[in-house]
Amino acid sequence: MADNGGRARQSRRGFVNWILGTGVGGLLAAVLYPVGRYLIPPEAGESAAASVTLSIRPEDVPPNSGQIFKFGNQPGILVRTPSGELRAFSAACPHLGCIVQYRDDFSRVWCACHNGHFDLNGRNIEGPPPGPLEIYAVNVREGQIVVSRDV
Amino acid sequence: MNPRKLVVLLLAGAGSLFLPSLLLGQASENSCVTCHAALSDSRLSGPVEAFASDVHAVAGFNCVSCHGGDAQETGLAAMDPGRGYVGVPSGREVVALCGRCHSDAEFMRRYDPSLRVDQVAEYRSSVHGFQLFERGDQRVATCASCHPAHSIKPPTDPSSSVYPLNLAETCSGCHADTEYMAPYTLPVDQHEKYQRSVHWRMLSEEGDLSAPTCNDCHGNHGAAPPGVSWVGNVCGQCHTVMASMFSESFHSQIFAMLGNPGCATCHANHEIVETGDELLGLQEGAVCSRCHSDSSTGGRIAVEMRGLIDSLRVEVFRADSILSRAEHAGMEVSQAQFDLNSATTSLVSARTAVHSFSGDAVRVEVEGGLEVTAQAYARGQDAMDELQVRRIGLAVSVSIILLLIVGLVAKIRQVESKPE
Repeated sequence: MADNGGRARQSRRGFVNWILGTGVGGLLAAVLYPVGRYLIPPEAGESAAASVTLSIRPEDVPPNSGQIFKFGNQPGILVRTPSGELRAFSAACPHLGCIVQYRDDFSRVWCACHNGHFDLNGRNIEGPPPGPLEIYAVNVREGQIVVSRDV
Repeated sequence: MNPRKLVVLLLAGAGSLFLPSLLLGQASENSCVTCHAALSDSRLSGPVEAFASDVHAVAGFNCVSCHGGDAQETGLAAMDPGRGYVGVPSGREVVALCGRCHSDAEFMRRYDPSLRVDQVAEYRSSVHGFQLFERGDQRVATCASCHPAHSIKPPTDPSSSVYPLNLAETCSGCHADTEYMAPYTLPVDQHEKYQRSVHWRMLSEEGDLSAPTCNDCHGNHGAAPPGVSWVGNVCGQCHTVMASMFSESFHSQIFAMLGNPGCATCHANHEIVETGDELLGLQEGAVCSRCHSDSSTGGRIAVEMRGLIDSLRVEVFRADSILSRAEHAGMEVSQAQFDLNSATTSLVSARTAVHSFSGDAVRVEVEGGLEVTAQAYARGQDAMDELQVRRIGLAVSVSIILLLIVGLVAKIRQVESKPE
């Protein structure tokens, strides 16, 4: 009987030790894993912001004008066409990456670096830019301008 | 034997072979096609097949439109010179034949109102036209050399011989042929050089059909080498800012005096490779060093411009690196990265300003860029300092937690080791 009682105590003690060991191990892992991820973070890709709500109000963008805005860490350009439509494009010139601007005298988007011209659909129509500007979708929601990728 | 005579003889022979059957049957709608399609000589039957997709066939023209004769007749009667039959036209005749319609604005309007009608006039002003009409050189290119007779496609058709991606190959058919070009004092390596150029890379690899090929610099129907004094105008069609800066610079006058070909003096003509900062300065490989030394004012300005551009390039890289490291470590630096884009614009503008050959023009752009990079770098440095503070805080808190764990384990063991 005494042997049986000793074996039962041994078994309970083993079980308690297993519970405690596992708990301490789990605690260690729970502490060290985030520390490791903090010290060796995953590769940061290109800014993947899918949409941005601009601080510019729609009524502050007069017809035939444009404004640069921040889209993630990249520049975008918001244009109100002479007919009053809001459009948005990437503001990085596809030639060498200069920031484009709006020219109200041409009613076009223009790159000052090498005199590249883009129409109000973002198409490269003059000068060295080899391709069009990336087009963003523009929506006005509750008086705020929301610009999104994936038109 | 003269190839033209050979073709006429073959045509006559073929006509006599088929004469009986043609005489027996009724005249077909187009006897040229009926007879030529049945001939075994591909030189005579090939045009029938090729012409089916020719832009002129699609518009309703047929063999007689260019070769004359009478397609309602059969055999030799169809090829009666008395009915305007011209067989294989000579170079001069080709130009006249094409020009008969293509120089007639009223006629062409019915088919393509936007098509120009000055091709023949332009051709006469070209080196090819001069050689043909003034020197009687029958080997030079005429209309059919570039727009192959019987398979002419619009220039927008990717299978056309004059589609932007195919044009250099078409021109090099003659201009890269050492034997064919032997009588002329022209190099034959233009195509080979062009294929190493940034223009060909943009056209063929990037698919930018606006990138220049032969005709964009030499003209198409009025093809001629751009004169020394026109080179800047030709390049300036696309590179407007650089051309404008260059034309206002001291160098444009000096180059004109020396007979240097403007832009091509530094950038070459057919082999225009991608430019880089290494072209600027007096070190080996720099184009300025071809004329300037470190003892000349021009040499000193070249070195100064290179130094300014290098300083901005390095600072942009430095700021971008620290911001990338901070971003990689999870810090919020998107505003600084956004602002740094304007320094990149300044760097590109500074490189463009080199074409004014003025140290001051480059300095204005560089100084603007350096202000931006200094701010961006400082914000990156702040982010990295903040990161360091957070890491120290993390190390302290983790140490405390680990100590607690160790203490807990020790306590448990102490409890376990107590005698029962």
